[in-house]
Amino acid sequence: MKKALCLLVMMSLVAFAAFGGGAAEEAVEPEQTLRVAVPTFPNSIDASIAAERNAQNVAWQMFDSLVFQTETGEVEPALARDWDISDDGRTYTFYLREDVEFHNGEPFNAEAVVYSWERGQRPELEWSDRWARADDARVIDEYTVEISTEEPDALLLGIMAQHWNMVPPQYTEEVGDDAFGEAPVGTGPFKFVEWVREDRVVLEANENYWREGLPRVDEVIYVPIPEASTRMAAIQTGEVDIVNRLSFEQAEALEDVDGVNVVTYPIDRVFYIAFNNLTTGVGEPTEDVRVRQAMNYAVDRQAIVDSLFGGYAELATGLMTTGNLGYDHSIEPYPYDPDRARELLAEAGYPDGFEIGFAAPTGAYTNFEQVAEAVQGYLRDVGIETDLEFMESGRYWDLEAEKALPPLFGDSWSERSGEALPRLRGALDGWDASFSAWQEETITEYMDEIGRTVDQERRAQLYTELHNYMFENPPFIYLYVPETFEATRDNVRDYNPRAAEDYFLMYTYLE
Amino acid sequence: MQRYLFSRLIQSALLMVGVLVITFFMVRLTGDPARVMTPRDASPERVEAMREAMGFNDPLIVQFTRYMGGAARGDFGRSLHYRAPAMSLVIQRVPATIELTLAAMGFALLFAIPLGVFGGSRPGSIWDTLARGFGLLGQTVPNFWLALMLIVVFAVDLGWFPSFGRSGPISIVLPAVALGFFPLGQFVRLVRSATLEVRGEDYIRTAYSKGIEERAVLGRHVFRNVSITLVSIVGVQFGYMLGGSIYIESIFSWPGIGRMINEAVQARDFPLVQAIAVFSAGFVVVLNLLTDVAYALIDPRIRYED
Repeated sequence: MKKALCLLVMMSLVAFAAFGGGAAEEAVEPEQTLRVAVPTFPNSIDASIAAERNAQNVAWQMFDSLVFQTETGEVEPALARDWDISDDGRTYTFYLREDVEFHNGEPFNAEAVVYSWERGQRPELEWSDRWARADDARVIDEYTVEISTEEPDALLLGIMAQHWNMVPPQYTEEVGDDAFGEAPVGTGPFKFVEWVREDRVVLEANENYWREGLPRVDEVIYVPIPEASTRMAAIQTGEVDIVNRLSFEQAEALEDVDGVNVVTYPIDRVFYIAFNNLTTGVGEPTEDVRVRQAMNYAVDRQAIVDSLFGGYAELATGLMTTGNLGYDHSIEPYPYDPDRARELLAEAGYPDGFEIGFAAPTGAYTNFEQVAEAVQGYLRDVGIETDLEFMESGRYWDLEAEKALPPLFGDSWSERSGEALPRLRGALDGWDASFSAWQEETITEYMDEIGRTVDQERRAQLYTELHNYMFENPPFIYLYVPETFEATRDNVRDYNPRAAEDYFLMYTYLE
Repeated sequence: MQRYLFSRLIQSALLMVGVLVITFFMVRLTGDPARVMTPRDASPERVEAMREAMGFNDPLIVQFTRYMGGAARGDFGRSLHYRAPAMSLVIQRVPATIELTLAAMGFALLFAIPLGVFGGSRPGSIWDTLARGFGLLGQTVPNFWLALMLIVVFAVDLGWFPSFGRSGPISIVLPAVALGFFPLGQFVRLVRSATLEVRGEDYIRTAYSKGIEERAVLGRHVFRNVSITLVSIVGVQFGYMLGGSIYIESIFSWPGIGRMINEAVQARDFPLVQAIAVFSAGFVVVLNLLTDVAYALIDPRIRYED
């Protein structure tokens, strides 16, 4: 009843605003300022140096790449209006837009692309290895550029879209990295205005933006608010229009607040307990696939997700997430079936279970300590005794990179490219990857082939096959894909954060 | 006095060297910064190249010599996370922290002195009850909790103050109250008990018997004596408040040193953590020195003999 009344009042208010307020609005177009709270303040707002997601988000409002990647992984034209790929899959010819200028008036052309590529590869820049995937970049004519790779690289376009920010050669060369980071210049929808260190970043609309009609707001102000409770307060008072990284308890509390909308979506991050077949896990029962299957049956993921995350997480079926290319939606997560687990253990020759080492990081992820304890309890139920060891995350990751963690270790892996390959490589490339403790021929073959294949349909098919193989032959106890919680003021429109927690404010406006 | 000052200065300098040595080795216990500086899927070769480029592969003694040499010249290296000179990043944050600390201290003293003096001079009165109440609350209420409550009540519900940031004088009120509440409690207790003690002294009775007004007695005779104890504790509290402001600054998104400590530790930013530690230690050392000098100025009985 109360809710219905509320709704009625709100609807009449909206109606009033729509009809009553309309005339006044047309007369004077209000200056629109969007205020966005970020939990960490950017280490840099130069997209080539910005280290983590929030910093990248601030930086990328000012830049463009040659191509744009949609949420579903499709690659669209951006600064390049079109491109050809040579038959051997190694050479890309990009035809650039001819009407684009950098914010400082420098023309955008083939030379700028080559310069950006040369600069991006310098090792002191955060994303140098993303630029170094291309072997060569050549100016063909003023608006044509050729980029080639040593081997066919199916991920190249996606990685370009994510990391290749085009910079103006003259300005960048003249001022150097430090000064460029203080006042970046790109071709993007927003121009840099000021960065009051640790207080705010102010951007204004680029009036000459090449995408017609965008951006829609006049100004964007980023403010850092490290504490989630304070972010929650600031969205309630209307001091900011968008906040992210809230807890589910906070999001639930905000559901009832007038003027605030809660935004929820699964992020592209998989949590898992990894097995090791390279160092500490050699000779352990977990080398037997039946044991690894048993351990997947033994853990009641749904109960974990319900009790620790309010049900706001999907159960993982692999190291891929639902939005990833080639994800097989027909795969159901391992059901909770301790009897099946005991059977499999008995088949594998461990009817009475066994003992094994297990470690988890502390302070790194929400409630992950409790998740690890729950997993320990479920494993004990089927006879597997683990001596669970918690470690400070910094030390934990050092040991993980040395492949010195116990044969069971918990962690998670996020991916921003819309495809699972970088994550798969990172976690399963064995000795060739820093944080991998697992190597298996079939998986490696699939990964190599996916990396070589340029045809999207074929790649999707390979991913699907690999997804199935890795479900039957799990190198992990798959846990969950968490959801994240954000909130906006209810007059914010077209703010669409994606699974990688990135977004493009050029579409966003206030009503 | 001069000789005393001189020897204190030497002591302080030695102390700073100790701080430099300890911070250098402590931060190196926390793990490998090259991994933090490279993306997670970076190849082992890339991480190794980064380690080499940053000089983390050199023997510890070489790194240490380089660090001490730099420190002597005021160069604390570049922040790994922010990619800028570490000490200048710290210095940029100092005004905000000093501003907040002074405001919090001002708030604490403004309430603590009258409460403590009146409470102490009239035991059992309403003033005394208030003084004891605030003394207890100040010492027991955790400041991060208080900070969140202040935000909920005064920013969200009442809308009187902004909930975060450093924008104009009004934005300092909530963080200053949250940060000043603990010292407020401590000061009230201290002033109250010191007043109680002084109250019974002969010279106070003499003052009253001369017919001096109560206000003048409290101000000139009681408070003057109480202030000696107060100065020493204010000095110490200043140092603590730099630490206490790690939470408070983070909660209110106050752009000071406290919030920077949080960021630097999370980013495992060696040079920045070192610079902050050295700066904070230097700050405390200087405060202690000033406190000792202030004693001598306030209390003619204290003399640093040669």
